[in-house]
Amino acid sequence: MKRLHIGLAAWLWLMAMPVWAAPGVMLRDDTLRSAPATTAPAVVSVAKGQAVEVLGRQGGWSRIQAQGKTGWVRLLSVRGGAVAQTDVGGELKGVLALGATRRDPGKVVAVAGVRGLSEEELKQAHYDARQLDRLEGYAVSLVEASRFAADAGLTRREVAYLPLPQAASGGGESWGGSQP
Amino acid sequence: MKMRVMFLAGMLLVSPVQAADFGGLLRGVLNGGMQIGPQQETPQDDNGDAVGNLIGALLSGNTSPEQERLIGQRIAGNLLGAAPLVNDAALQRYVNRVGRWVASTSERPDLPWRFGVIESEDINAFAAPGGYVFVTKGLYKRLQNEAELAGVLGHEIGHVIRQHHLKLLQQSQMVAAVGGLLGQRLGNKNQLVQNLIGNGAEIVARSLDKDAEYEADRIGMVLSARAGYDPYALPAVLQEIGHVPAQDSRMALLYKTHPHPEDRLARLGEAAEAAEAGLPEGNLVAMRFYRLK
Repeated sequence: MKRLHIGLAAWLWLMAMPVWAAPGVMLRDDTLRSAPATTAPAVVSVAKGQAVEVLGRQGGWSRIQAQGKTGWVRLLSVRGGAVAQTDVGGELKGVLALGATRRDPGKVVAVAGVRGLSEEELKQAHYDARQLDRLEGYAVSLVEASRFAADAGLTRREVAYLPLPQAASGGGESWGGSQP
Repeated sequence: MKMRVMFLAGMLLVSPVQAADFGGLLRGVLNGGMQIGPQQETPQDDNGDAVGNLIGALLSGNTSPEQERLIGQRIAGNLLGAAPLVNDAALQRYVNRVGRWVASTSERPDLPWRFGVIESEDINAFAAPGGYVFVTKGLYKRLQNEAELAGVLGHEIGHVIRQHHLKLLQQSQMVAAVGGLLGQRLGNKNQLVQNLIGNGAEIVARSLDKDAEYEADRIGMVLSARAGYDPYALPAVLQEIGHVPAQDSRMALLYKTHPHPEDRLARLGEAAEAAEAGLPEGNLVAMRFYRLK
């Protein structure tokens, strides 16, 4: 389990801080902070709709440049930072439609030599009792899982389910949108 | 319990040469443990009742945990037929430890939860009724820490606890069709379940309602937070897979069955913003994250 060494740690750090920058747009008002933590000092307020540069990501935080300042906002507060196709400041639907056209099956790029999971392969799949038995063999008890969690300092917390956003509409009721 | 013991005992008697008959063997065991070998089509009274009950339970939305398990087991077995488990016991144990812990924070902690990483470069994850959750190797390799794994598993756990696939079956015309067939001939229980779920593991390639996916995303964040992980690790995964070009074949099935990652992120953002108490910070647990070679 102790697979981590210094080289890997450095690599992980680099992976967490990509050097690319991509245009993005603020989805809601947020506070730019000097570090990726809610307790970090505020740098400046950024408003919904504002165009920003997305510089990287660490955990659930995006590193952005806004109003000439660099800092961190919650990943969910900023849209984009992925690819050049992101239509900065443009309409959300437009970007999604672009994504849809790119799903044209005729344009699917096959990755050579990899085993896929196409609809056809799934349809033709045959029941494998031996694999299912192996799966059973890997099961762990709740006691073991709890001990494993405690080893990493994880503790149970009370958190309520997130409500269905008001903006969401259409058909949610039939899918058990109720919150127990 | 009795069923499982007999099944395992049966496994010991069967040589690899006879492996092709495992399906038949399992059907026999589930039929009452009396039949070994090729499936006999003789209907039994108790079997007929169980079959009828399953249809009725699905139609009324009142499946028992045992019935859920029966359906999920069939789907899981078929899915594993398409993509077997990655041959790495340490990886599989690790994923079960994390998954079981996350699932224990849900309202169904006592389901017989089973987690697996399957041999496919596709970027995807699957759930089946009764507590089965699978992540492809392709998706697992893109994960950066244990919190991201917890978020992905939490999304799939969400599908299980809210019975999204059972509802899909309930709404399916197939339930009515299979119910109609019952009058003509009573099949065995496994054949019925197979008829219900369609061909092979086709059901996991069927799209759930988009709202079911958004709901599973919200549950994934919440269960991660309850388990002590950083709840924003799931959105981080969504952003990561959003970087993979949509025309990449490894994303084909995910894009067919799920809303666009950008859309999912936008909905999650709205939900997190609407949360009165907000979501607590948490651990990423990067140090012990099990990395695939």
